[in-house]
Amino acid sequence: MTDSILQRIAAGDSTAVEDCLKKYGGLVWSLARKMLRNSDDAEDAVQEIFVDVWKNAERFDETKSSETTFIAMIARRRLIDKIRHSNRRITADSLDDVLLEPFTRADKDMQLGLEAREAAVAMRNLRPEQQQVLRLSIVQGMSHQEIADATGMPLGTVKTHARRGILQVREHLGLGSSKQEVAL
Amino acid sequence: MTEEQRDLLFDLLTKKVLYGLEPSEEQQLAEFDQSVVEAEFRSLEITTAAINMAELGDFEPMPDHLFARVSESASEWMPNAAAEEAETAPAWQPAEDRGITYAEPERPSLGWFGWLGWAAAAAASIALALNLFVYRPATPEVAKQEPPAQPQPITPADLRAQLLTAPNAVKAEWSAGNVKEIAQITGDVVWSDDKQTGYMRFRGLPVNDANKEQYQLWIFEDAKLEAHPKDGGVFDVTADGEVIVPINAKLLTKSPKVFAITIEPPGGVVVSKREKIAALAKVAA
Repeated sequence: MTDSILQRIAAGDSTAVEDCLKKYGGLVWSLARKMLRNSDDAEDAVQEIFVDVWKNAERFDETKSSETTFIAMIARRRLIDKIRHSNRRITADSLDDVLLEPFTRADKDMQLGLEAREAAVAMRNLRPEQQQVLRLSIVQGMSHQEIADATGMPLGTVKTHARRGILQVREHLGLGSSKQEVAL
Repeated sequence: MTEEQRDLLFDLLTKKVLYGLEPSEEQQLAEFDQSVVEAEFRSLEITTAAINMAELGDFEPMPDHLFARVSESASEWMPNAAAEEAETAPAWQPAEDRGITYAEPERPSLGWFGWLGWAAAAAASIALALNLFVYRPATPEVAKQEPPAQPQPITPADLRAQLLTAPNAVKAEWSAGNVKEIAQITGDVVWSDDKQTGYMRFRGLPVNDANKEQYQLWIFEDAKLEAHPKDGGVFDVTADGEVIVPINAKLLTKSPKVFAITIEPPGGVVVSKREKIAALAKVAA
């Protein structure tokens, strides 16, 4: 069986570094651009994320998640940390920012892992308000309070939509068993 | 675990996975069974990453200079990277040009027969070189290794042109707002409800100092200009001449009637006081 890129990095195969950048550079860059809204910050973050990836490569377990999801998880940890330690406001945006596309985009061949494709299916099954809250919090990095301010929803409602929505998607992915949690 | 405790646990875990927790919340979480917390958190982290990828949109390629920068930093973590890169570098590129120096490997001492072998090999090489020189083609072709063709980036102008052809796309012309210095603004805005994307094209919108103020787009779905229009994101103008700015509407936008650009503090605002309106564009009824 061929080793994954992360397994090759963990084994010290330095040629895997470039393979990793080629394969996942676009993903990490796009995540950073979308969440940080500033190209300079995003560039710094991408560099730090890949260092995190090299350092954590040996912790990748293909029985728990796909390589793509593992790298996205590492990226998100770093990006959330960046957002928490910055003064970024929810509306910060940059001149040539990438665009959000509608949910139907998930039907395209995105070369993503199974988890992402299934998550797209699960998202479409959520209530519109839950979709909105998850989209704003996960993709845009907005806090519960910021979402409440922007949408006019009460803070408690935002929290509930976030919790129930995320648990429902998790249930769909087969990662948890919180039926009572996701009951609407 | 009671229903209430369970709600608290998942509220904390959801917040942790989405934004991180404050120290007091971390303390609350520490009171739960840590094996449960760890397992639940890990599965929520995977779920969130999957949603993030699913909802991200098409990936944008990493800029070349950033690719090079990250690749270079990798050598600090993977000491063999630089050496292997040198070994696999294109033959036509001199090592000196890449700033790579090689240590001479220590050679084993050669006996008499060894030197004889080297002499024979050298003679054969000279003969081969002479032969190639005499019988070289009249117009020698030097194999030149071209760098691989880079895909042409799709510019905002291309994307705008594509959007213009989308069914039901709307277009509106910019006109001046209430800022005297921005009276000569021209251009247009194109928006598609179906694609939830749009582009603004401007001429005459001055370059802004992003440390002092930024432009912010607002999208009104009511021609009477509702109190809480949709936030279209903030942006900077960094060059004179025509600029094209993608619209990043954060909320579902339907049948926009008016687009407005305000000037706001860096980072933008949640609710604009509408004191400085740089431009307005009304969609024809």
